[in-house]
Amino acid sequence: MWVRFPPSARIETKSTAGTNIRPRMDGDRRGTPRLMSPRQQEHSLDAGFWRATFVLGAISALGMWGVVVFPIDKFLPNVSNVGSDIDWLFKFMAFFSVPIIVFVNGYVVYFAIRYRNRSAATAADTGSSIHDHPQLEFWWSVLPAALMLALGLLSYRVIPKYYAAAAVAQTSSITMEAIGYQWGFEFRYPGLDQPVQDELHLPVGVPILLDVTSKDVLHSFWMPEMRLKQDMVPGLVIPISFTPTTIGTYRIICTEFCGLGHSEMRSNGRAGRNPRVIVQSRDDYDAWYASEQKQQAAAANVVLTAQVIAAGDASAGAQLFSTKCTVCHNAAPFDQRKVGPGLGDLFHDAAHPDLVDGRPATPMDVAMIIKNGFHGDMGVMPDMQSNSLTTKEIADLVAYLETSPGK
Amino acid sequence: MEVAEVAHAPRGHIHPPPVGFVQKFIFSQDHKVIAVQYFITCGVFFVLSGLLAELVRAQLMKPDNNLLTVSTFNEAYSIHGSMMVWLVVIPLVTGAFGNLVMPLQIGARDVAFPWLNMFSFWLFPPAGLIMLSSFLVGAPEAGWMEYPPISLGPPFGTTLWAIAVALIGISSTITGINFLVTIIKMRAPGMTFTRMPLFVWATAVTAFLSFIATANLTAALLALLMERTFGVPFYDPARGGSPVLWQHVFWFYSHPAVYIMIMPAFGIISEVICTFSRRPIFGYKAIAYSSVAIGLLSFMVWAHHMFTSGLAPWVQLPFMILTMVIAIPTGIKIFSWVTTLWAGNIHLSTPMLFALGFLSTFTFGGITGIFLASVPVDVHEHATYFVVAHLHYVAFGGVAMGSLAGLYYWWPKMTGRLMSERLGKLHFWLTFISFNCTFLPMHWVGLLGMPRRVATYDPAFTTDNQFISISAFVLGASFLIMFYNMAQSLIKGRAAGQNPWGARTLEWMIPSPPPYYNFDDIPVVLSGPYSYGNPLPYREIKADLSYTPTY
Repeated sequence: MWVRFPPSARIETKSTAGTNIRPRMDGDRRGTPRLMSPRQQEHSLDAGFWRATFVLGAISALGMWGVVVFPIDKFLPNVSNVGSDIDWLFKFMAFFSVPIIVFVNGYVVYFAIRYRNRSAATAADTGSSIHDHPQLEFWWSVLPAALMLALGLLSYRVIPKYYAAAAVAQTSSITMEAIGYQWGFEFRYPGLDQPVQDELHLPVGVPILLDVTSKDVLHSFWMPEMRLKQDMVPGLVIPISFTPTTIGTYRIICTEFCGLGHSEMRSNGRAGRNPRVIVQSRDDYDAWYASEQKQQAAAANVVLTAQVIAAGDASAGAQLFSTKCTVCHNAAPFDQRKVGPGLGDLFHDAAHPDLVDGRPATPMDVAMIIKNGFHGDMGVMPDMQSNSLTTKEIADLVAYLETSPGK
Repeated sequence: MEVAEVAHAPRGHIHPPPVGFVQKFIFSQDHKVIAVQYFITCGVFFVLSGLLAELVRAQLMKPDNNLLTVSTFNEAYSIHGSMMVWLVVIPLVTGAFGNLVMPLQIGARDVAFPWLNMFSFWLFPPAGLIMLSSFLVGAPEAGWMEYPPISLGPPFGTTLWAIAVALIGISSTITGINFLVTIIKMRAPGMTFTRMPLFVWATAVTAFLSFIATANLTAALLALLMERTFGVPFYDPARGGSPVLWQHVFWFYSHPAVYIMIMPAFGIISEVICTFSRRPIFGYKAIAYSSVAIGLLSFMVWAHHMFTSGLAPWVQLPFMILTMVIAIPTGIKIFSWVTTLWAGNIHLSTPMLFALGFLSTFTFGGITGIFLASVPVDVHEHATYFVVAHLHYVAFGGVAMGSLAGLYYWWPKMTGRLMSERLGKLHFWLTFISFNCTFLPMHWVGLLGMPRRVATYDPAFTTDNQFISISAFVLGASFLIMFYNMAQSLIKGRAAGQNPWGARTLEWMIPSPPPYYNFDDIPVVLSGPYSYGNPLPYREIKADLSYTPTY
């Protein structure tokens, strides 16, 4: 099958400007340069070219079929209403990307083989002199533009689904708050005084309005299975909305660098934390909510007194210290800092400055620092809520530190 | 004898060449020497920051590895990124390639402001040393973007980092102005804009971007320095600043910077593909004008790096659409290059292999860029290994592949020696394959839930990461072949002659390496450079216009 290159193809004519140049052709003193004859140029769109095009088309079709039958949710479950829209967009793009990638790579390989000149180059070797083809260039500009426009509009339709605070607030939705801190997540539920560490409990099928914010630096709240991510920006509360669709336990991962603990700020992190989304049936959710409410009420009644501190359990405290404190502190002498000072001999260390009122620290002082946090020359330490410690646990920790574990 | 010298002496207002080692090689104002200085300095920083990348990959061999402390790991990837962007790629594609090639290609004897050119280079090694010295006081740990508020705290190295980057920014701005003036004012007679080689077009757009965009980075860095040093609250939300402000100003520079990096690579690819296809480049004007379009659009897309920062949807819409619009001129370039191969007379030399590799890897990186441009899809992929994969497909698969093509292409012009084709091809295949093995799987682990900038990860990704790490080691090792090839070429390489590739742009019309004043007589340009098969369009060239390709 011989196909003429369309007549609109522009062929370089002999140099017009160079009329007064010495009549010498590209260093080839004897011959004239070998321009491709019109016949050779016709051959460039010959059966071989169409065969290659057909093969590349077939490979593309195979790839596009693969994109359709192996969508991403075969590998990563999709458990929110927004997730299916995002997966569909991903599939749409992958579908059209396959032929572009296959044809660009395929033609590069085909042309490189087909038109390869294996002999040593000479000055007279030249290829086709066609240097423009307005029709071809028009279509390869317009078709991608149309595809991009479609993609843009399709994408824009999805954005309001997760940024729909006003609309969702009018339905029977639940508004919760997700707060990031160094290094963990806590969640506030309507009607609960205290935030709940790590666990985001969601009733299945209920629209959720999640107010996302941070206590200290930037974090990013990613729920891969929900296909949702929102940066946690200190000072800003950014609402996102979605509806979980499948019961199960899913991951939460911080994706914005937030300091030393960033790598562990995820489900099953090494530091012992396990932030996760727990999607439950409405009944299970209500049951969990009721028990959490009861627990919080009980915990609120335990007051930090000298007796409570004295009753602390040092071995339980050692356990706690290794999971909650060792991100920043070690059980070494005071001046061996990690992020904060070493706490090995806190109560007797001569090098330890007086933290409170110019007198050596008492167990109560230390307990109050753990409870309320610390902000001073030595650095910043988060408060008890960030550490998610109960009063009993604080007492255990103080008991452990009183044993001078660094000695 | 004396008569003959006079006859060959260049005409016009010229200065005698400098004498003495310091004038010639250290504080040289000759664009070619400055280019070599850039190449060497960039080479040193490339090796160092490449080693940091290998450290990062070594740490990620195991999910809970303790090879590096978390802090060292953070320093390693932060300085790897910062060095690659500011101490390797930007100086390499502007300072090194721009200085070496652009004045020769426009038939000029030097850049417009040779002293500024020297000054601009000498800001660069001190800036590099300042950035490296941050390791002594604790290097920055928050990645090359240094998002506040975390970057407002310790380590002190962040201050040094900001000073270093600001210095590089000033150097880059100066080079931009210098190149822009050179290209506008110093083209040889007859070289109209549409007769300029495409590398010069690319350098012009790059210079414009460096000149306009870099000042924003300097401003952002000064604000960061003032906040870190004097406590002026620009970015700290606790004191009324805005962390998102930094993101806006930083990306208002850093997105054009992406095109500062890739644009010269585009230019190199146009030159190399055209030379080794031995036919006119397809769509000269389309390629040239699409560079301009990309340059202008690059200022209007910065917030696509911030789709999860909480911008309102109506703000996100124009950034998404404009980002997708950039795909159109980029596509035009790629399709034009592929069509240049069609019915060419193709010689698969080392530079050509790297250029074809570029077409493959850069196209892939461009496509994943469209995935990231779609706001909802970006919400899932943002700040994961998918982004790491995408950025390396455009930064390594685009900029590095293009720069390697350019390095192998212009090495004979720079040194007067040929490199071994056999070793060059071995380098290409090792690099191309190990590159894809390193970065292709990253898309996958990113989609499935691996965030970037983590020293430990979910054990589910162990196998993928081991494969990635081993490929990365091979990728790093493949550059040893290149350095060996270079050394061998310098010691005992064959003389390259004036025009070993049989190319047609002006730099190949003079001896290799070019003499001090480049052109004895400024050439007169009669038409565009790429009409293979037609007589060369130059007058006033003393050298023999004949050439014998040596490949």
